[in-house]
Amino acid sequence: MPFAAVRAVEYHLPAGVVDNDALARAFPDWPAEKVAAKTGIARRHIAAPGECASDLAVAAARKLFAAGACRPDEVDFLLLCTQSPDHFLPTTACLLQDRLGLPTRAGALDYNLGCSGFVYGLALAKGLVETGQAANVLLLTAETYSKYLAPNDRGTRTLFGDAAAATLVQAGPVPPAGELPWIGPFVFGTDGRGKENLIVPGGGLRRPSGQGHGSAGASPDHLYMNGPEIFSFTLRAVPEVVAALLARAGRALDEIDLFVFHQANRYLLEHLRDKLGIPREKFVLALSECGNTVSSTIPIALKEAAGRGLLPPGRLVMLVGFGVGYSWAATLIRAPA
Amino acid sequence: MTKHDALRLLEEMLEVGPDTLTPERRLWDLAGWDSLATMTFIALVDRELRLPLPGNRVADCETVGELLSLLEPAFARRAA
Repeated sequence: MPFAAVRAVEYHLPAGVVDNDALARAFPDWPAEKVAAKTGIARRHIAAPGECASDLAVAAARKLFAAGACRPDEVDFLLLCTQSPDHFLPTTACLLQDRLGLPTRAGALDYNLGCSGFVYGLALAKGLVETGQAANVLLLTAETYSKYLAPNDRGTRTLFGDAAAATLVQAGPVPPAGELPWIGPFVFGTDGRGKENLIVPGGGLRRPSGQGHGSAGASPDHLYMNGPEIFSFTLRAVPEVVAALLARAGRALDEIDLFVFHQANRYLLEHLRDKLGIPREKFVLALSECGNTVSSTIPIALKEAAGRGLLPPGRLVMLVGFGVGYSWAATLIRAPA
Repeated sequence: MTKHDALRLLEEMLEVGPDTLTPERRLWDLAGWDSLATMTFIALVDRELRLPLPGNRVADCETVGELLSLLEPAFARRAA
């Protein structure tokens, strides 16, 4: 049986940038500097009009190919995690197969998740590789939440940035006996009672565009986020999923070398780090230059951590994604030597 | 922690002087009370009292008194 491993990660940010000065000019009554200091975000990259999540995904994938991770014709399965598809149909991953020059014998599909999406993607990719269904899985996460934000919603405009990431999952060597696999185990979680707290109510089929009112007087076609509710959800869910994952893996917290959580905002992350008793040097923060990029925050943070020399082979890394849905998932990964 | 301590912490959080907040004071009239402040308060209570407060219940509080009454279970626990 093959043992799936994360082999390479690259990411792409669109060229447009909104920094804190721009926010302060747009919202003079909003203490943009204070909010930015609390959220830990200095810059967000924003897709241009007509620049879609799929365009960002193409750029990220091409970076992966250019880095020598694999050739396009070697990819036999494409997974695209997005909540900003080009169309309702056809599947955006099918369009990417064509644009990236992947073979027509490759499988391709979209899946719709946000902040938990990368971890779920690793679970799917591991399943495909370890059952022999695919050898080289290209896992793409791509999002343009900026296009869902109301122009005057200073809260969300401070937090969210657009980005895409490309990750190659393929078989690695057989791990030494008694050791954990290169990816896994996993713990998942879902609670649809959180539906109303992070939602774009309109534009789908439940409520077509332009009809009725959204929550709190907002337009139903814009993103609505209930910060305090999501905050308290996170404080409940994340410690539980961390404990569950450690139990499933038979590991103690101090055996984990690095923690890469979904980069929602620095204030929340610092509180979680402190609450869980994780030392600062083991906890990755990588959101100051790109903000909350939804399903790309974890791969971006992994890439940044690697660049900082924090990921030599064999380091045991915990990934925890949590957010919209509510949906959450956690896993352990390590790089084969 | 007592109710008095909690009031002090709230005053510190909102950057107002000690003994300036009364139970009748309306939260949303205070310069420092916004959605970011509600999250700071939730975090503070989680850390100091290990009491998880649901976001909506905090955001729905109109006065300082209502906010502090959410902490009653933690004060009762301490007294027991």
